[in-house]
Amino acid sequence: MAYGKKETENKPAVYEHHGHTEEHFREKHLMLDPLPRGQMNDMVMEAMTEKPSWKYWLTVFVLASIVAYCLVYSWIRLIAEGVGIAGVNRPSYWGIFLVNTVFWIGISHAGTFISAILRVFKAEFRRPFTRVAELMTTFGLVQAGFSIFMHMGRVWLAYWLMPYPNQRMLWPNFHSPLSWDLLAITTYLLSSTMYLFLPLIPDLAMARDKTTGWRKNFYRILALGFRGTEGEWTHLRNAMNIFAFAIIPVMFSVHTIVSWDFAAATRPGWNSTIFGPYFVIGALHSGMGAAVVVLAAVRKFVKNMDYFIRAEHFDAIGKLMLIISMGWAYFFFNDYMVQWYGGDKWTKQLLHFHEAGPLGWMWFAMLIVNIAIPWAILWNSKWRSTPWLVSTVGILINVGMWFERYIIIPISLTINRMPFTWRMYTPGIEIPLGIGTLTLFILLYVIFAKLIPMIPVWEVQEGQMAHQLKKFGRETVVTVSELE
Amino acid sequence: MSEQVSRRDFLKLAGLGAATTAVLTGCGPASRYVTREPYQQMPEYNSVGQSTYYATTCRECAAACGLVVRTYQGRAIKVEGNANHPLNLGKTCARGQATLHGLYNPDRVTDPIKKSRGDSAGEIVDWNAAIQAVADALKNNQPDEIAFLLGTSSDHLFDLVTDLANSTGINAPIRFGAMSMFESRATLSKAAENLFGQTGLPWFDVGNADVVFSFGANFLETWLSPLSYTRGFAQMRKATETKLRGRFVQFEARMSATGGKADEWVSLRPGTEALVALAIGRLVAEIRGGSVPRIFSSVEPADAAEQAGVKLEALEHLAEMFANSKAVAIPGGPALGQSNGLAVAEAVLALNALVNNFGKSGGVYLSALAPNQTEYNRPASSQEMQALVEKMKSGAIKVLFVHGVNPVFEIPNSLGFKDALSNVGQVISFATFPDETALEADYVLPDHHGLEGWGYQRVTTGTDLPVLSGAQPVVTPYYNTRSTADVLIAAAQLAGGSFASALPFADEVEFLEKKVSALMSESNGSFSALDSTAFMATFQQFGGWWKNVDSKVTPNAGSVLNKNVKAEVAEFAGEGEFFFVPFMSPTLGEAGANKPWLQELPDPTTTVMWTTWVEINPETAHELHLENDEVVRVISEAGEIEVPVYLYPAIRPDTIAIPFGQGHTAYGRYAENRGANPADLLGKHFNEAGDLAFAGMKVRIEKTGKTKPVSRLESRMGVYGEELGEEH
Amino acid sequence: MTTLSDLKISEVKLEGEHVGKWGMVIDQDICTGCQACVAACSMENNIPFVGEEDSGYGRAMHWIRIERFWEGEYPEVKMTNQQPMMCQQCGSAPCEPVCPAFATVHSQAEQLNLQVYNRCVGTRYCANNCPYQVRTFNWRDYQRPEPLPNQFNPDVTVRRRGVMEKCTFCIQRIHKAQDKAKSEGREVADGEFTTACAQACPSNAITFGRIDKEDTLVYQMMHHGQSHGKKHLEELGTLPSITYMNGGGA
Repeated sequence: MAYGKKETENKPAVYEHHGHTEEHFREKHLMLDPLPRGQMNDMVMEAMTEKPSWKYWLTVFVLASIVAYCLVYSWIRLIAEGVGIAGVNRPSYWGIFLVNTVFWIGISHAGTFISAILRVFKAEFRRPFTRVAELMTTFGLVQAGFSIFMHMGRVWLAYWLMPYPNQRMLWPNFHSPLSWDLLAITTYLLSSTMYLFLPLIPDLAMARDKTTGWRKNFYRILALGFRGTEGEWTHLRNAMNIFAFAIIPVMFSVHTIVSWDFAAATRPGWNSTIFGPYFVIGALHSGMGAAVVVLAAVRKFVKNMDYFIRAEHFDAIGKLMLIISMGWAYFFFNDYMVQWYGGDKWTKQLLHFHEAGPLGWMWFAMLIVNIAIPWAILWNSKWRSTPWLVSTVGILINVGMWFERYIIIPISLTINRMPFTWRMYTPGIEIPLGIGTLTLFILLYVIFAKLIPMIPVWEVQEGQMAHQLKKFGRETVVTVSELE
Repeated sequence: MSEQVSRRDFLKLAGLGAATTAVLTGCGPASRYVTREPYQQMPEYNSVGQSTYYATTCRECAAACGLVVRTYQGRAIKVEGNANHPLNLGKTCARGQATLHGLYNPDRVTDPIKKSRGDSAGEIVDWNAAIQAVADALKNNQPDEIAFLLGTSSDHLFDLVTDLANSTGINAPIRFGAMSMFESRATLSKAAENLFGQTGLPWFDVGNADVVFSFGANFLETWLSPLSYTRGFAQMRKATETKLRGRFVQFEARMSATGGKADEWVSLRPGTEALVALAIGRLVAEIRGGSVPRIFSSVEPADAAEQAGVKLEALEHLAEMFANSKAVAIPGGPALGQSNGLAVAEAVLALNALVNNFGKSGGVYLSALAPNQTEYNRPASSQEMQALVEKMKSGAIKVLFVHGVNPVFEIPNSLGFKDALSNVGQVISFATFPDETALEADYVLPDHHGLEGWGYQRVTTGTDLPVLSGAQPVVTPYYNTRSTADVLIAAAQLAGGSFASALPFADEVEFLEKKVSALMSESNGSFSALDSTAFMATFQQFGGWWKNVDSKVTPNAGSVLNKNVKAEVAEFAGEGEFFFVPFMSPTLGEAGANKPWLQELPDPTTTVMWTTWVEINPETAHELHLENDEVVRVISEAGEIEVPVYLYPAIRPDTIAIPFGQGHTAYGRYAENRGANPADLLGKHFNEAGDLAFAGMKVRIEKTGKTKPVSRLESRMGVYGEELGEEH
Repeated sequence: MTTLSDLKISEVKLEGEHVGKWGMVIDQDICTGCQACVAACSMENNIPFVGEEDSGYGRAMHWIRIERFWEGEYPEVKMTNQQPMMCQQCGSAPCEPVCPAFATVHSQAEQLNLQVYNRCVGTRYCANNCPYQVRTFNWRDYQRPEPLPNQFNPDVTVRRRGVMEKCTFCIQRIHKAQDKAKSEGREVADGEFTTACAQACPSNAITFGRIDKEDTLVYQMMHHGQSHGKKHLEELGTLPSITYMNGGGA
């Protein structure tokens, strides 16, 4: 905040109205609190290029060690010895690997949601954190991909799921929801990566201009020769608009398709028509929760970020989380009612098992952290503006959403139409592998914080240029001019 | 090459045509095995891509079912039933199927070994030295200091040793097996002898009966001839155009796999079987009118019902059922293995006299004798076994030969076999597998596996026809093993004197030829031949020889109803709150524990795999605060074992049951240190017929605080509703 | 244009060329639960044993299992009739459409559900979607120490870890019988061969044969038996090929 403070001190005029000073607006709203552009660029560059302390390297080392053991070593063992070292069995043929897959795809949802939807609806508060969220999409999808590959019995033949021309004229089975899944996730990964990259270009060009050595080469290649001409900006804005609109249906379809893995099956508890929207809202729920956690972490641990990421952003995301939580509660109830009302004896048995079985506590915990806690805390704008509190709620929501997937997959698989085969699932090597994916997710952020600007600084500057405080009579009003 | 040519010639002679059964002939010792050949030199009937099928006889139990083994390039691939064999008509049981896991077991004894007792490994000797050792043992001891302990299968070896014993004066061979102990064969035949004045093994024509009462007989599992009894059961159960579905009632304290198929399962207090049978007899006699026969007159049905813990109305209803249909009553299993087992057997057999079904379709017969048998020859009872143990203890036995049985494991500890072994100068085991007895032997001279060896087995029960079931090698011996018969013949030659003249054969096959060709003169045979070579070859081809004459014997029913049977409750040994029912594991049998696929077969009643369990009624367990998988110590007067609990809904609250078959300390990687042996709990108590009163023990249980997850196929959640949560 | 049928390759079984629909009738009333079928199946089809721990954890690889439940409480307790459960060879199998790799497909020729081990990548979706829960997965490379592999049936693939498998109705036996009949210029006769389980079954509770021909024993039992046959979970529309009879007569 070194730069920020100095600058605010220089601000001369103070208007007063209804107890709100202009100072008050500036503190509250990043868009009304502009710094010189060069200074903001320097802040971002400093956060990125400052020589990392020993703490940073220690963190990287610890995370990398965990990844090496939990992800690399355990995965090699899994491939060499077979999925027998995991906890899957009959009837729970699917276990935590698929729980994690669905979980990570859910997380990856919020990134694009925040970025694309809010961009399309011109929600100005989005500007400083679109990058962090978009990264979450890409990093999350990597973990989802890893998890699904871990799940496969013969992962070395995973390419057989791709439609590629081959001598035997064999195609994947397009009846299978898993084939749709693969296509949907691949599409999503490619488009979200593109969507991440486009708004990065001006920042990369800025970084190129401000660095030397290997970094300069690195940014020069990535910046694709962006110089900031009017034509380039126009093209960029057009491309981003197209992507923002195009990626929204992709995003909704991906998780709907993930839900069809379950909904299209003949199992009690899975065969539910509401699963599509229920999964989408669930994904948003966990994704928003994760986004707020990442945001709080970036604000806390990356230098100069408390200027860009402010209480107003947590407040805004908190509102979104509250609404999504309500939506999730609605779809949960809907799904439950429809299944219960169906009256199928196995489904009824399963619903009862969810609550009263040995893992019934998980079902109740899910409802508490997914509904009760967000509703209790996020009503209050003061609490909403407290980063640690909102991010704690975010963590809890993610735990709850992980429970939800655990209930849908291994717990629901326990009960089927053949009571002779019912059996509980006890995870094995899924646990280190799950920890491994989570650690890798964090590690990627830690590393990329030093490689790319965590803040789309040009977007913030663009927003600040468009925002003004104007006085109409005695009223002080925030105005935004149309830039595009 | 000449051998192969002669085989081919023989093939033409036999005129196989489309028959899948191929032939092996005997023409010189060296050629008596199919050799494993590279592709280029395959005998023509072993051509690439074609399987060859050999008929032989199953040696997993004494029943003597005919097998056809599919071989492929010198390997045995699959066991199938011999469809022509009168006993099993093409069917096999699980143990027969898994016999290949014995043949190719990774833990076989591969070479003859000289070793010190207690060691599993030893010095490999060559077969000449081994035969010399056997010859020395025969020659250097007095004949009455030499004893043979044989298993219940391989009748040809029994005959060979009997011949040897008859002409040299050594002790007559004793045959024993845990299976025959749990079957209580001696009691059954003794009861028949007492009632009918005839020797023989009763045979119950379940298939043609309309109502079957079984007092403890586990005839669908391991009892006497399970395949033929199962076939009979299916026939009885199936309704046809001319007959209704037959009904089956089982009387026992613990629901066996057989009892599980019963239409009515009567859970009576152990030891009251005789009372209940007599009471039913009395009620039946009353229903049918006339005076109550003497044999039933001593019992009061109301008393009996109370003693047995069943309702009098239930007995009356059963008597009604029995009296008014074509009924048969079968005694067997744990009901006979009690202090009054003989009385139980007699009382139940007498029920049949009441409905006069002796020698009638759907009734009781005495089994047909096998072709070369003059009288029914049963395995030793436990008491006879005990006599041998006493002799061993006293030092009267200097050399003990053991073949086809694992007495250290199979004979209950309390009989002291293992201790008695230390007083025997030399123990020579012919074990195929490194079992507990081989561990205590000085020499292990491994016999071939049953599928690698020659032989024959008499069918003692289960079919109308006299059957001699033939065995032949279906593959070349895999290891450096040698047929025990060959070893004994060669050793006898070396020993000279009366030994040499007792076994004047070049080898085992010559001995078999002599025995089998004696049947050539019999009429009505399943085949005939012009000379003994052809006869022998056809014998192997068809997997045996049988006489197409119904030779079942009708029991002499004359005075049965006027006999006396003591109407009393059995006595139980030991202090404890529980009656103890040990039972033969239906899937493992006495010697199946080393076959991995048998280990992985779920038990028919509990679906447990790979271990031993103790069955306790859930109510009792609840009172004692016992849970599934909790390890308890079961203590009897004879010993104690630790086993995990299985809450078994179909057992009396005052009874616990443990399967026999596990608890090996040797016997290969799949059997060792797995489960517990309930025989350790059995005391030295016999019934009047000399069978062990194995079901006559009382035991108590103690908690150990340990748990052991019992592998089950069934779901505890789905089958018992565990962990599903309370219904609301 | 040349079509497959113009090529006259006898090995290619063309769509629509039905060589038979195979099915079974299982009489639960006479099944004694003796496990002979399980052992026979394992021997015929090179099924690995998985050991104590895995078998107790729901990983036993039996292609056929015998289910039994309890009714009532002691002393009125009754063991329900044994229910041998194996792949029902559904006419409309839920496992087939969900496999992304086409590893489980419907055979037009035999009207069976085939499992193509080579093509299986181990997503285990088919097993989840099988209402009968009869698919077994190779969780590990289960070891069969030498010389046990000598017993392997050369007609049946030995599966490795990561591959799904299930009852095939002993398709190797079907093909062998068909080839033999073809070489002799005739049709396969009813009862000429049977599956390993039916062959072993001591009580003859399992009957196997063509269910699309009226003169077979299996067809007779399905349609004219006194007992009322029932197909398991038929209400799901799976069109199973196995009919269960639960005793009957009067």
